[in-house]
Amino acid sequence: MTRYLLSRFAQLAVVVFLVTSIAFFLIHVAPGDPFADAVANPNVSEAVRARWREAYGLDKPLPEQFVRYVTSVARGDLGWSFSKQRPVKAVLSDALPNTLLLMSIALFASFAVGIGLAVAQALKPGSLTDRVIGGISLFLFSVPEFLLALVLLVLFTYKFQRFPIGGMTDLDYPSFTPIRRLADIARHTVLPAITLTLLFSAVVARYQRAALQDVLPLDFVKTARAKGLPERVIVRHHALRNALLPTISLFGLAFPMLLTGAVFVEKVFSWPGMGSIIVGSIDSRDYPLLMSAIIIGSVLVAVGSLLADLLYLAADPRLRDAR
Amino acid sequence: MRQLAPLTALLLIALACEGDKQSASSENAAAAPGGTVVISSGGEPDVLFPPLSATTTGQQITDLVYDHLADLGTSLNTVGDEGFTPHLAKSWTWSPDSLSIQFHLDPRAKWHDGLPVRASDVAFTYAIYTDSATASPRAPLVASVDSVTAPDSLTAVFWFSKRSPTQFFEATDPMVILPEHALQGIRGQALRTAPLARAPIGSGRFRFVNWTAGASVEIAADTANYRGRPYLDRVVWRIAPDPNTTFTRLIGGEADVLEDPSAAELTELATHRDIRATLLSGLDYNFIQFNLHDPASDSRPHPIFADKSVRRALTMAVDRAGAVQSVYDSLAAVAIGPTVRAYPTTDTTLREISYSPDGARRLLDSLGWRVSGADSIRRRNGRPLEFTLTVPGSSRNRVNMAVIIQNQLKQVGAKMNIDKVEFAAFIDRETRHKFDAMMGGWHVEASPAGIRQTWSSAGAHAGGSNYGSYTNPTFDAQADSALSAMTLPERRNLFKHAYQTIIDDAPAIWLAEPKNSVAIHRRIRTPALRPDAWWSSVAEWWVAPAERITRDSIGLRR
Repeated sequence: MTRYLLSRFAQLAVVVFLVTSIAFFLIHVAPGDPFADAVANPNVSEAVRARWREAYGLDKPLPEQFVRYVTSVARGDLGWSFSKQRPVKAVLSDALPNTLLLMSIALFASFAVGIGLAVAQALKPGSLTDRVIGGISLFLFSVPEFLLALVLLVLFTYKFQRFPIGGMTDLDYPSFTPIRRLADIARHTVLPAITLTLLFSAVVARYQRAALQDVLPLDFVKTARAKGLPERVIVRHHALRNALLPTISLFGLAFPMLLTGAVFVEKVFSWPGMGSIIVGSIDSRDYPLLMSAIIIGSVLVAVGSLLADLLYLAADPRLRDAR
Repeated sequence: MRQLAPLTALLLIALACEGDKQSASSENAAAAPGGTVVISSGGEPDVLFPPLSATTTGQQITDLVYDHLADLGTSLNTVGDEGFTPHLAKSWTWSPDSLSIQFHLDPRAKWHDGLPVRASDVAFTYAIYTDSATASPRAPLVASVDSVTAPDSLTAVFWFSKRSPTQFFEATDPMVILPEHALQGIRGQALRTAPLARAPIGSGRFRFVNWTAGASVEIAADTANYRGRPYLDRVVWRIAPDPNTTFTRLIGGEADVLEDPSAAELTELATHRDIRATLLSGLDYNFIQFNLHDPASDSRPHPIFADKSVRRALTMAVDRAGAVQSVYDSLAAVAIGPTVRAYPTTDTTLREISYSPDGARRLLDSLGWRVSGADSIRRRNGRPLEFTLTVPGSSRNRVNMAVIIQNQLKQVGAKMNIDKVEFAAFIDRETRHKFDAMMGGWHVEASPAGIRQTWSSAGAHAGGSNYGSYTNPTFDAQADSALSAMTLPERRNLFKHAYQTIIDDAPAIWLAEPKNSVAIHRRIRTPALRPDAWWSSVAEWWVAPAERITRDSIGLRR
């Protein structure tokens, strides 16, 4: 097992390095300039722009910039954000925990909701419940993230005024007691977390239902039925575990999907996380910040896939034995 | 009906503004300290260090935390010192030869950490702004200042090598005064990482409180300020990158101020009686700029646009008034040239190239561009009258304008293709001169001096801002003379000649001059807003005690 884990970590490092390298060259050859706003300002002379490029090492040949970047990342220095005027590490340490909070809530909630819905559908296939849940899942599966986020924002913050309009904390958060601070963050988290959960639970429900449909006609389920077990017990205790394998694969894909969803949802709800950082760094050609966001994204994907493989091993004894 | 809705909204806005003027004067006596103003902002500041800040939000905050020596008035007069009001300098004296100005600092002025403001801070500030290692984008704006000395602790002297009409403006407007003691030993790029760059210590009527990354920035009243305590307790910028959210915060009551709501949002605001919108003269103008050089080789003239008569014919083919009306409704005026109406130096009686599709057809015929073939496109020597207009996709107004103009040009036999590109790619093409024509725009400073960089030969070189490479020595000379004129009437007259020359040369089709707007909750009373900086008077804003809401009563808190 240790050898397996070590080899997977080595693969993970190679994947992240390759993604980083390709991304570095692609974003540097894309048209645009980190100082585009300054270029659009006639007061900023070419000499000043040259000084800025020199200060950030952008006047060096691209291969040299790449070597410098990789070396500094290896030393733990992620560089300086042009647009935020702060070390990238400081920007990420503010934003990443906020996104991870949102993603982890959405991840667990969407698997719980999605699997629950799929079980409800599988219990009575073809019934009204099955069709209604299927229809809603299909709708949520198709709707763009930003649209659902906007609808929820307008409905629950403006029309019904049940939740705050974006952000992560209230205006007077600093003067709150610790308990009230937690409650305040929870209140602000509800709508963005629900948006992400709704979107991803629809995906989980559709995958899980299809997997249950494949498992339910199998012999061991027929045997359970022949033994007179109630349908609820058959689905929950016999079919579900065997039908979980495709959903475990989905767990690996959940990280990048949720991160992509978070980009849009965070923007609409002004959630101070990686979403706005990614969009902002693309717009402003903030290379060091964008590169760090890409590294984090690729690490999340690789870790997600590793976790999925480990869960596979735990869930399927045949794979464990083969290894 | 769709056309009428924005007009109705604007009428309501105008009536609302009139009502406010009356009520403001009668209620002024009721002004009392207290209240919180929340500004719904779409962008986070980059840094709160004025020599390096490049964002509007950053400028808004630092303008309130720091002080200028004197403040430019609402008239935006940059000639002499007329209209300027004392801030950190309680008075000033011109030398008899006008080659130096002595600023006498207010002895009561203190930094927010309690230390007194001294003339050495002024000299230090000048050194920081002009140090090439700082690479401040504002350094060129103070280029006419030779040096700054501090003969005593309360006198700062600005020295100039030659007289110019905007000496006073250049000494006072581009720079805010920085605390030397907080930046001891910090120079060059290290200034970006100085603690002061994220937690400013100024002498303004508001002091910095906190900055929560990605969420908000808060400032509070400096209750012991030498210029008096502002009425408001707190001003908070709440940041939301999505425009729908910034707007929802305003109408949902979580914010009090929104800068530049769109035309659709202004229409919606007309139905909210607790919010008033104010239109301000804009400092922006946009245009279609022709590249006078061949984008394939900068040394060759452009095969179509090098000919002034073709440029004039294309200008005649465009119904600018109709296009501006369709896209902006009443939120923009037709641009009159490379200037804005807010400048006191702009004469609005300039002779424009009139809209005349028939005139355009005749002119193009006479130039040998004739319709031949089934596609109705004009050709000369086998070359079609076809070009590409590069448009930044991020600006919906400019994209819409391009589509309307495309159709108008088609009517006279010119084919304009539209290439919609991302903003960074747009700037890239602009600076490399890799375009036939582009839908450009300039936001101008309070002084018209930027015209040297944007339209004269001085900006036509690589790295300059005259991207179309228009050059005319007559225009250069007229613009230089105008910028050197020592009185406002003379300056205005000379600028009129310069603008007329460039309008006649048609290096661009001058399109729209958008107005600025700001929506403010009605419980907040404001004096007249400065067109280039509506926030400059925030220290004079107040909330009537009877109309205060929960957040107004929190007080200074920290």
